[in-house]
Amino acid sequence: MSQLASSCHRPADLPGAEPRLLLIGNPNVGKSLLFGCLTNRYVTVSNYPGTTVEITSARATIAGQTRLVIDTPGTNGLIPQSDDERVARDILLSSPGADVMQVGDMSNIRRTLLLSLQIAEHGVPFTLCLNMSDEARERDAEVDPAALAAVVGVPVVATSALRRWNLEHLKRDAVRPERARISVVYPAAIETAVLSIVAELAVDPHLATRGVALSVLAGDETLKPFLPAASLDRLDAIRGEAQSQLSQPMSWLIVTARLSAVDRILGNASMKQSLPRNNVREWLGAMTMHPVWGWPFLLAVLYIAWLFVGKFGAGIVVDFVQTKIFQEHLNVWTIQLIDLVARFPHHHVIANGILAPAYSGAVHLTIGQKVAQFIHDLLVGPYGVVTMAMTYAIAIVLPVVITFFTFFGILEDSGYLPRLAVMLNRLFRRMGLNGKAVLPMVLGLGCDTMATLTTRILETKKEMIIVTLLLALGVPCSAQLGVIMAMLGPLGIGLASVWVGVTLGTIFLVGWLASKLVRGKAGDFILEIPPVRTPKLSNILIKVLARTEWYLKEAVPLFVVGTLLLYVLDYANLLTKLQRLLAPIVVGGLGLPAQASNAFLIGFLRRDYGAAGLYAMQKAGALTPVQTVVALTVITLFIPCIANFLVMLKERGTKTGLAISGFILVYSFGIGWVMNLSFHLAGMS
Amino acid sequence: MIHPAGDEILERLWYAKEEGRTIASIAELPLNGDTAQAADALIASHQIRCGKTVELLPEGEERARGIVRRHRLSEILFAQVLEVDPHDAEQSACEFEHMLTERVVDRVCTFLGHPPSCPHGKTIPQGSCCRVYSRTVEPLITRLVDLPLGTTGCVVFIAPRSVQRLNRLAAFGVVPGSEVRLIERLPSVVLACGQTSIAVEDEIGREIYVRPMA
Repeated sequence: MSQLASSCHRPADLPGAEPRLLLIGNPNVGKSLLFGCLTNRYVTVSNYPGTTVEITSARATIAGQTRLVIDTPGTNGLIPQSDDERVARDILLSSPGADVMQVGDMSNIRRTLLLSLQIAEHGVPFTLCLNMSDEARERDAEVDPAALAAVVGVPVVATSALRRWNLEHLKRDAVRPERARISVVYPAAIETAVLSIVAELAVDPHLATRGVALSVLAGDETLKPFLPAASLDRLDAIRGEAQSQLSQPMSWLIVTARLSAVDRILGNASMKQSLPRNNVREWLGAMTMHPVWGWPFLLAVLYIAWLFVGKFGAGIVVDFVQTKIFQEHLNVWTIQLIDLVARFPHHHVIANGILAPAYSGAVHLTIGQKVAQFIHDLLVGPYGVVTMAMTYAIAIVLPVVITFFTFFGILEDSGYLPRLAVMLNRLFRRMGLNGKAVLPMVLGLGCDTMATLTTRILETKKEMIIVTLLLALGVPCSAQLGVIMAMLGPLGIGLASVWVGVTLGTIFLVGWLASKLVRGKAGDFILEIPPVRTPKLSNILIKVLARTEWYLKEAVPLFVVGTLLLYVLDYANLLTKLQRLLAPIVVGGLGLPAQASNAFLIGFLRRDYGAAGLYAMQKAGALTPVQTVVALTVITLFIPCIANFLVMLKERGTKTGLAISGFILVYSFGIGWVMNLSFHLAGMS
Repeated sequence: MIHPAGDEILERLWYAKEEGRTIASIAELPLNGDTAQAADALIASHQIRCGKTVELLPEGEERARGIVRRHRLSEILFAQVLEVDPHDAEQSACEFEHMLTERVVDRVCTFLGHPPSCPHGKTIPQGSCCRVYSRTVEPLITRLVDLPLGTTGCVVFIAPRSVQRLNRLAAFGVVPGSEVRLIERLPSVVLACGQTSIAVEDEIGREIYVRPMA
């Protein structure tokens, strides 16, 4: 999630003149970790394919030379099957002259070489890094780099980025890429067509390669923007001519020819690998996907999450930080300090022996005293930056964000998430999606904004739209989730399950309806399942740190902005007017106190902030249990935050983004109204 | 040369013999068209004899056996492998029984693992291929999802709905000739190819045909 905070670039935005070092490779081979090692910049590293969906770049000195190091999304080939794969291919095509480093998983040498062949066919010199060599050794799948280098003709370096092993050697070879000696022989009709296409594209030597020609023959539509428009008809004709001489689809013939070439290379280098050995981790991996045992395992994971994030993080830690640190000490000190600086006559309310922000006795003030009061209220008033924004952001939300990301990091690095996708594939089918959509949906529990970007790993527009909608509508992000958990605690199991039921019900119902309404179809469920790995504490800590930093940078300013907005509205006496304006909805429709309007107002900025406002109301006894459930459900189903809204517009287009937002607004208040009505009819309110 | 009517007569006689019935005259067979003409031809070529009952002569019996074998193997191919509905399977089997050459039939038989009986439980006459593989327990080719869990098979062919599926599987190294291991069937099909585990759509698991390996 830190990509949001660090530089995200479209290929076109990258600085042009600098020499580049491109990291390219299959998904989940450790490119991002290696990128971090080479540049000392952190990008999110996880144990599942699709962690990187944007291009990340950073300047670094590699073996004494300056390079713009570029991390790309993982790809299985240079004929893209999804948006993130396309990003990787595009950057390769638009970086002529760059040093290319292919990163591969040593245990997966066959797939690694399949990609090497394609890079070679694009006529690009490269260095091959066989990463995760420690794991390969453990699994008895070691490959001799020297033997492979002799066959392939490029420098081959075995590394373990996780253990920082052999990276200096890698850096030396990274700036000395070579052209590969390996090649594939295709059926005669294809070879002839390749020659014709290369001749047709000869004006641009960077495009006139076997690789581009083969992509054209394989029917790669995504290549069109790179090809000269004038040649398109001619290329189609060449392709049609070649296909008419062949009995099988060319894309298939090309890929099988490549695979048999890989097997030949492996045969020559006598590096056939055996199938994985059975061991404890493999057993555990199988257990988590078992048709019977997978479910208790999933429940256990959820229960532990609840204990750690809900009970410990949102309960014990929040209580301690909010009450002991903020209310009893920090806020009191700040109030006393401000009172010393900004002087005007007033007495603070003493609640339970503690100095509170509320005060009385400020009458007949001079102009100077009014200015002092303004500054005082801005910082420590009921809508003060310290007493409200900082208390919410640091005391209520931060502990939850930290505990959640710790737990989530363990789940990510263990490789459990793709296994969850296996368990939930059938369920997601009902919503017009497939198991792969589990990844962005679960990521949404961390941050909906980042998760919306991750929808790029999905194959069809339909899936992307549905997941974007469901994320924005029904998946609370970590910050909000924590507040929700803290609020659900005192409600008891009955009302808490109303919230769970309505939220899950909404996801399934809206997903199901959307699957009927949105045109198109779901892609195939084909998902790589990474091996179960023991999470490494240092990676989790770094990840938690990066994500917490991101939260502080991203959310806290908005908290302050929201508070300022409330303060200004309050100061200008507009807040009560606005509350009166919203009364028919908030009071009449939802059956909530007028004050709850404030929470929904700031909910437009960030819904976790809105939730925190409701939490404060609940704690102050301003909400009955039934009101709490209604308010909580509405704020859960709200648009997550401004950042998410903007990303939605960017990724899905303005029209779709606005349609989704409009629907969410109407739906969230509508469902709150229905709930209030139902409680009313049931005689519970 | 194909003589559908003649083939039908021979087939009926085989069925009657199999069930222990006797056929008194050609007229008893529920056939139409040029049955009489075909029967005359069969008598003339010493394939059947009309005495007290209609009997198969050795040459005719050999031919009948081939027809029934082709019919029943086709039924299995259509009904169980290609999942055609039973009525269509029967119809298509009736047509196939007249036209497959012996070599093709032996290939089909081998592909299906030399099955001993048809979907209706009737015995399939053995061919020369079955005698070579005297033990007919394991089918030679099965769908990936039908492999026992944890066992390995060599991919023989993939019959996907779309070419894109083929390409995506190929990118993971799943092509004819690759060895794949079935890890899980439910809740989703999970297979291992080399060091890569992949979860795939159930439908894809049914489209990959493998030869089980020891």
